[in-house]
Amino acid sequence: MYRVGVDIGGTFTDLLMLGQDGRTVIGKTLTTSSDPSLAVETALRQALGEGVTKPCEPGELIHGTTLVTNVIIERKGALTALLTTAGFRDVLEIGREKRYELYDLNLEPPQPLVPRYLRFDVPERILADGSVLQPLDEAYVQRLVTELRDKGIKAIGVCYLHSYRNPEHERRTAEIISKVAPDIRVSLSSDVVSEIREFPRTSTTVANVYVQELVANYLTKLQQRLDSLAFVGSFFVMLSSGGIATAETSARFPVRLLESGPAAGALAAAHAGVRSGHPNLLSFDMGGTTAKLCVVEKGQPLKTHEFEVDRVYRFKRGSGLPIKIPVIDMIEIGAGGGSIAHSDSLGLLKVGPKSAGVEPGPACYGYGGEEPTVTDADLVLGYLDAKFFLGGKMRLDVEAAHRALDRLAKPLGLTTEQVAWGIHQIVNENMANAARVHLGERGKDPRHMPLFAFGGAGPVHGYRVAEVLHLPALISPLGAGVGSTFGLLVAPLAFDFVRSAYSRLDSLDWGFANALLQEMARQGRMVLENSGLAASEISYRRSADMRYAGQGHEVSVPIPNRILDERDIPPLTAAFEQIYRELYARAGPDVPLEVINWRVVASGPQPEMHFRPTPARTGETAKKGSRLVYFPEYGSFVETPVYDRYVLRSGMSLRGPAIIEERESSLIIGARGQARVDEYLNVIVKFADA
Amino acid sequence: MPEMLIDSVILEVIWNRLLSVANEQQDALLRTAFSTIVRESEDLACGVFDRQGRMIAQSLSGTPGHINSMATSMRHFLVAYPQERLAPGDVLITNDPWMTAGQINDITVTTPIFKNGRMVALFANTCHAADIGGRILSAEAREVYEEGLRLPIMKLFDCGKPNTVLLEIVKANVRQPDEVLGDFHAQTACNDAGGRALLEMMEEFGLESLDAVAEEIVSRSEAAVRNHIRELPDGEYHSETWSDGFEEPIVIRCCCRMAGDEISIDFAGSSPQSSHGINVVLNYTHAYASFAVKAAVYPEVPHNEGSFRPVHVTAPPGSILNAIDPAPVASRHAMGHFIPSAIFAALAEALPGRLVAPGADPIWLSVWRGNNPSFTISIFQVGGMGARPTKDGINAIGFPSGVAGVPAEIIESLSPLVMRRRQLRPDSGGAGMWRGGLGQLTEFTKRAEGRWSVSCIIDRTKFPAPGLFGGKPGARGEFILDTGARPNPKEQVDLQLHQVVHLNTPGGGGYGDSFARDPERVRQDVIAGYITPEAARDCYGVIVRFTSREGQLVRLPDQWVIDEAATAELRRATLRPTGE
Repeated sequence: MYRVGVDIGGTFTDLLMLGQDGRTVIGKTLTTSSDPSLAVETALRQALGEGVTKPCEPGELIHGTTLVTNVIIERKGALTALLTTAGFRDVLEIGREKRYELYDLNLEPPQPLVPRYLRFDVPERILADGSVLQPLDEAYVQRLVTELRDKGIKAIGVCYLHSYRNPEHERRTAEIISKVAPDIRVSLSSDVVSEIREFPRTSTTVANVYVQELVANYLTKLQQRLDSLAFVGSFFVMLSSGGIATAETSARFPVRLLESGPAAGALAAAHAGVRSGHPNLLSFDMGGTTAKLCVVEKGQPLKTHEFEVDRVYRFKRGSGLPIKIPVIDMIEIGAGGGSIAHSDSLGLLKVGPKSAGVEPGPACYGYGGEEPTVTDADLVLGYLDAKFFLGGKMRLDVEAAHRALDRLAKPLGLTTEQVAWGIHQIVNENMANAARVHLGERGKDPRHMPLFAFGGAGPVHGYRVAEVLHLPALISPLGAGVGSTFGLLVAPLAFDFVRSAYSRLDSLDWGFANALLQEMARQGRMVLENSGLAASEISYRRSADMRYAGQGHEVSVPIPNRILDERDIPPLTAAFEQIYRELYARAGPDVPLEVINWRVVASGPQPEMHFRPTPARTGETAKKGSRLVYFPEYGSFVETPVYDRYVLRSGMSLRGPAIIEERESSLIIGARGQARVDEYLNVIVKFADA
Repeated sequence: MPEMLIDSVILEVIWNRLLSVANEQQDALLRTAFSTIVRESEDLACGVFDRQGRMIAQSLSGTPGHINSMATSMRHFLVAYPQERLAPGDVLITNDPWMTAGQINDITVTTPIFKNGRMVALFANTCHAADIGGRILSAEAREVYEEGLRLPIMKLFDCGKPNTVLLEIVKANVRQPDEVLGDFHAQTACNDAGGRALLEMMEEFGLESLDAVAEEIVSRSEAAVRNHIRELPDGEYHSETWSDGFEEPIVIRCCCRMAGDEISIDFAGSSPQSSHGINVVLNYTHAYASFAVKAAVYPEVPHNEGSFRPVHVTAPPGSILNAIDPAPVASRHAMGHFIPSAIFAALAEALPGRLVAPGADPIWLSVWRGNNPSFTISIFQVGGMGARPTKDGINAIGFPSGVAGVPAEIIESLSPLVMRRRQLRPDSGGAGMWRGGLGQLTEFTKRAEGRWSVSCIIDRTKFPAPGLFGGKPGARGEFILDTGARPNPKEQVDLQLHQVVHLNTPGGGGYGDSFARDPERVRQDVIAGYITPEAARDCYGVIVRFTSREGQLVRLPDQWVIDEAATAELRRATLRPTGE
């Protein structure tokens, strides 16, 4: 059996195929945004022709896609109605009642996916303990749904207060809808995210049903294309959590597909880290417009349950629609190769957040861009080779880059080279500053984590970012430019469940908690067995979100896989206190604990990846030439050796300053760098003492 | 152009590094602080100061209240403990409201940083303590002495040794000693972390002193602010803002004087200080005034000593915005939150197209208590933001404060309260070419037997948010019991079993002539239910008709049409309102 990962990005659709014998095929084709499944078919057809598979050999396709993000950002989803507890139809619009930016008087709040005229108060009320204060007015629901059906509404989200505690009214509402209007898609908040706090729960539920039809149609279409290729085997979709799910599960909970591409990138970094003996690292994926950082610990990327989509201010927390899904915890920084440099009203050099994008692109692309970008600076500094960009497929215009930088240099009183190095340095600093805050918020000390750099610009900037952060090393994989697709092939089948049941730990109803945990595990087993796993292959990870009574933020505490009772209070307390100390570097107060949520993750085994790197070309010297490159250690341009990435063999070592070039990226090694190639052809750069 | 001491690239890198250090400090505090207000509203600040006590970088705190009150405190610290009396391992502390952030719960901790035996910088942070003794946060005290334990500027650590006398006294005076002392520890630790990062950076860049960097930061920021102010028209501009007050209304009179490259803001003529705890110290007045000027004039210039210099804020001693020790000050936000609107209202004419109409302004606080089971819960609520020169005001959003709301599900899990309603309040946004943001309709009741009460600090129930340039005022706030009674908005009310309390927050003021509003926008507002068809007719002169059968639950946009002829006729016939 062969396995193949396909990741649809904004510009390119990347493919990685892994044959039974460990041989690989890498594919890259332009994304077809009007029908993204077409590019998948094209890439797959090409790869199948490469001869690593036999005809009729069963395959396994794992797919990452930005479809859900795009549908939400472009507001292309179904016309959706929302049913809420009477008195609460504005939950989506009232939100957190907080401005996300202090000084912008003209800020715009994020626009809810459901307009106010489609948000309806339904007479019913359940209290925090699950008891019914007011029964559901079924006749009202029937009348409302009939009208919605007759007016062409295609999707309904239902979110009643405290449904995480008692979902009865939501379920009854779904029954009525399916009777009155069987064609309308319905998402219940108690199914999508059974978690306390009505605003994020409503927002997530609505997003789920809003994108559902398009996602279902897309997955069906993709399946048809696979059928037409005579693809035999199974087809899975990458989730934001780093697990994979069947197309059927994905179509039920499409909101969990958000961020599936970047999640794959972090997984790839984690996997490569484990293999090269670095289970803890900082994954650094830098592309044309943004960079993403993620902490990997013990071989696993950190996870969170808070996410936002469609931010009005792209990188500002609070400016997007909140989505409660398990998601790999990444920080996105608005800095990439296309970021534009400018001088501000204080006469300082600034980089970003404006980006030249693909059109017009950096000045050196020659597509009409005139503003100086990070890529232009990298070119002028000698980090990029004008003749070997994308392996020589694209020629860069050094003169245009110089002109763009000159215009900026003059008012700042700097030379072109100074401004180029300034841009390079400032963008690295921005990255490092964001990383410090991200790490600090999570109580992580990066000094033992190497930086794992990939993406088109990651290896160009990784050395300096690692240096500024005092990280011990820099690791860059072979094929850094298409790094994300590796992650698709190492993800296990997995699905996350959550149920809120707010209680003090010392007065917890253990029977109820056990029932919730068992119910979630049962659902997990069902989902995974339906995906083709045997019961014996499924493992369960349980956790409880706990906090000191009255605190605002919860801490996730692992709990054992068995029936719990009051004898578990001391070990749970101890586990909570230990995690709390790790996070906050101090003991907490003498305050009782409370449990907010119970969680279960059901997962299958992590696939073994028998990846056999294509052997290095032999008989050639690794050094393919040299050129003048700027290194701040020398304060000037120095003649620097350039190595061919495809000739580097395991065990080789070299010293900075040096450049290692591959088709999609260049790895820059500064003067203190001592690089060695490991058996998986990762380049590992350590810093000699200055 | 002043002569450059450092090139602009290195300066940018170092400056960003300083801001990053301050933000790391802030995040550490945010995660570890125990007071709910700190976490929910980011009611704290962290900053880096040069040897002279000039603030050179500040974290991105969530509320304007600390923007420069911490900066002011540093001057007091250095007067009490001049450089030569400070040694490595010293940590200073105070919560004096008149020296820092205007409230006795706000504790400021300062740490001098030394390099090769020489002081190079100071780190400071201000953080809202979970408790500081005295009364629990309210406006009930008559003197600051009732509001808690005041700590004059003193050493928390002396050459690394903790001041155990101070700690014992604090411990004996607060309800939650572990948390309060834990926060002292966190405030000290985050300064240390900042100091370490600073020294590393100085090492990396080969700096023996921060003086040159500080000079560049201060002078460039000051020059940038002055450039912005110079472009504004000179002149004197006034406004008058009315608050419900405690027992009687309070007026804030604001005079903004722009001359050359400086702005002076004076609050002479405002009401005298109150006998209740809604008084504001000048530092806090200064903080909110700086916030307003920055948002209006120079949002992109970072806050530091230099950017404060061209802005002067004064208020007569003994007045509501410059209360004299020992006035009670615990609920200073109730008045302080009016300051930005007062300044915007004064400057609106001078800065056309830039400022926001007044909105609900002070955040609403209601404290609910009861028994069976016994509970106390504080709930913050917000109304509508004022309309803007090219946009409607935002519905149900805090301005100028930045406090997040609490979900109904959390309120009901923490207490026996039942929130029966939380929705936008139709017709509450002031009419205008641009409509004020909507307030909220909220209702509370209690599910079990037993006594309960509510005490509120809410405002704009007597004086609505005025409009600008002919815009109409927003709706007044309402505090109504189901009996129809309308209690005093700032007093404790005992409630009966099954009683329902309505707290309807105010709407924002409108901007410009409502009869000039694009009729299509009026129609959209009717479709959304932001305004009723009656208000569309009466306030905007637009006739929007529902064209389908009455009695339908689902009303789609295309079922609402503008009666063009009737609208034109009505708009012609009605005298344009001239505003309030």
